[in-house]
Amino acid sequence: MVFLSFLLRRLGLSVFVLVGVLILTFIVSRVIPSNPAALYAGARPRPEQVAEIEKKLGLDKPLIEQFRVYLADLLDGDLGESYHSRRSINTDLSIFLPATLELVIAAVVIALVLGIPIGALAGAYPRSPFDYATRFVAIAGVSLPSFWLALIAQSIFFSQLGWLPLGSRISRDATLFYPIAAQTGFYLIDAAVSGNWEAWFDALHHLILPALVLSAYPLGVTIRMTQASMLEALSETYIMAARAAGLSRPVILFKLALKNAIMPALTVVGLSFAYSITGAFLVEVIFSWPGLGKYVTEAVLNVDFPVIIAVTLVVTVFYIGVNLLVDLIQALLDPRVRLV
Amino acid sequence: MAILTVENLRVRFKTPFGAVYALRGIDFELAKGQTLGLVGETGCGKSVTGRSIMRLLDDNAQVTHGRIIFEDKDLLQVDDGEMRRIRGNRIAMIFQDPSAALNPLFTIGQQINDVLRAHASNTREGRQSQIVELLASVGLPDPAQMADVYPHQLSGGQQQRAMIAQSLAAQPDVIIADEPTTALDVTIQAQILDLLRTLQRERAISVILITHDLGIVAETCQHVVVLYAGRVVETGSVAAIFADPQHPYTQGLLAALPRPGSRGADLTVIPGSVPSGLERIAGCAFAPRCEHVMDRCRGHQPALAEIGSAHQSACFLHEASGDG
Repeated sequence: MVFLSFLLRRLGLSVFVLVGVLILTFIVSRVIPSNPAALYAGARPRPEQVAEIEKKLGLDKPLIEQFRVYLADLLDGDLGESYHSRRSINTDLSIFLPATLELVIAAVVIALVLGIPIGALAGAYPRSPFDYATRFVAIAGVSLPSFWLALIAQSIFFSQLGWLPLGSRISRDATLFYPIAAQTGFYLIDAAVSGNWEAWFDALHHLILPALVLSAYPLGVTIRMTQASMLEALSETYIMAARAAGLSRPVILFKLALKNAIMPALTVVGLSFAYSITGAFLVEVIFSWPGLGKYVTEAVLNVDFPVIIAVTLVVTVFYIGVNLLVDLIQALLDPRVRLV
Repeated sequence: MAILTVENLRVRFKTPFGAVYALRGIDFELAKGQTLGLVGETGCGKSVTGRSIMRLLDDNAQVTHGRIIFEDKDLLQVDDGEMRRIRGNRIAMIFQDPSAALNPLFTIGQQINDVLRAHASNTREGRQSQIVELLASVGLPDPAQMADVYPHQLSGGQQQRAMIAQSLAAQPDVIIADEPTTALDVTIQAQILDLLRTLQRERAISVILITHDLGIVAETCQHVVVLYAGRVVETGSVAAIFADPQHPYTQGLLAALPRPGSRGADLTVIPGSVPSGLERIAGCAFAPRCEHVMDRCRGHQPALAEIGSAHQSACFLHEASGDG
């Protein structure tokens, strides 16, 4: 019961945040000096053409009315259509969003699976060579720009070693001979569900390099946070008490201390997870990854507001979702959180 | 029969300001079934003594000298694996602040279960019923439900009871209780001491009670060791020391206790303060604060000397009075 009410309260808060972001992006998009109707009309439109389009798009109506219409469409699940390509944003997103999510999730899984054990061990053996080595890796991961890492990674693993492909989500051969039946848009899932292992391995092969590059930042953050909070947990009296009770070192480190250490680490890791979705935009461009990054870059260059707002909303929902997830995990781990 | 003997224990800490001499040669014996009070001001080395016995000193601490004999074995010499089997299993520890000593993310039952798993071979069901028994034995209401409760859901007194239950889990022979009631309300304090006394009697456990409170010593202990600046200044039975304190420091401590009927009167204090462990002390550490100080006190350190049956004190005054 306590848990359920906790969940509902957090959800309620999330709705507030979402509505706030919605209003803000909408206002910003209308206040910025530009003429969407002229853009919509294409090259060198005549003034009466522009006026006609303004009327068609509802841009001649007062702002409140425009917002009401937008909100009504949104509640129907309609994100509108691109001024530039005139395609439905819903359709576009159903293609580009899974590509980005697949990349981001892969990066974050790498960051968590490597970062938590590495950080925990570094925290358990402070001032050891391992500790110093991980500090170096973590700081490098956080501070090296992703575009530079991407180029270096391509130069090593594609040019020099020839182990991994240069870019794109899947090879042309695989799309021709082993086409993936699209269901979720996540290649690894779709290919696995249909038992299309040739395509699955091909997609994985393409995913490794961009996912590794994108994981550098969250990996660094995870290592540093886990290390720091592990160090703190190990200095607590309950760890002294556990040692005095004769518990073994693995139990103390990886059960008693790590559970406490994960709590503060999770919050920051969650934020860096959400941050990765915008971080992915740059990595996508370098790896010709057909995701949100390329989509939104084009939209920005074309001042294609419906697309920009839609992507902003998607990213916001993602942020909120990840934070909600972190809150839930913390509430599951820590009985005291449920009371807050 | 002594179950635990500490001989000439010296411990120093490395600090950025230089070495701190926390224990400067401590000797005492814990008899089987006895409750021994380790008394002194903050910084006198009480807790360091307890931690040394458990070999749980911080990394910057170093035992430079001495032996800790537990059942014919020197605890300072046994390997880490054996020491781990002794901790909790043979010698357990209770801490000052139970809310800090219990892990906030695990239920009371889970924490006791860990101890049982570390030391006793038993099935899951066996452990479960053992946990309930333990919780009942420390006087917690609804022991079966208490096992599934998290520490923050308990009061301070209940937390300390749970902590005691955990320390009893592997049926230790010795319990080191480091200020077990300092963080608790006075009424709860009395209950916890009462519980410790009862458990100690029923289970024939030997207890080292570390405290700064002479009142607690008088109620709970049979034997007292008074520490000052890392040395034993006086030791003896509770009866002997409370009736006839010999060392000026012990006399000062007892005089500082508020007594019934002294309401409104100023409390007696010992002037001055404890020397910092950073200085090497040449003579008697208490000399600068002692009202009976003599010249030789500043240059020579008095040794513990027998002054009665089971009563020793480290002071030149006794020699002076004995000689003439």
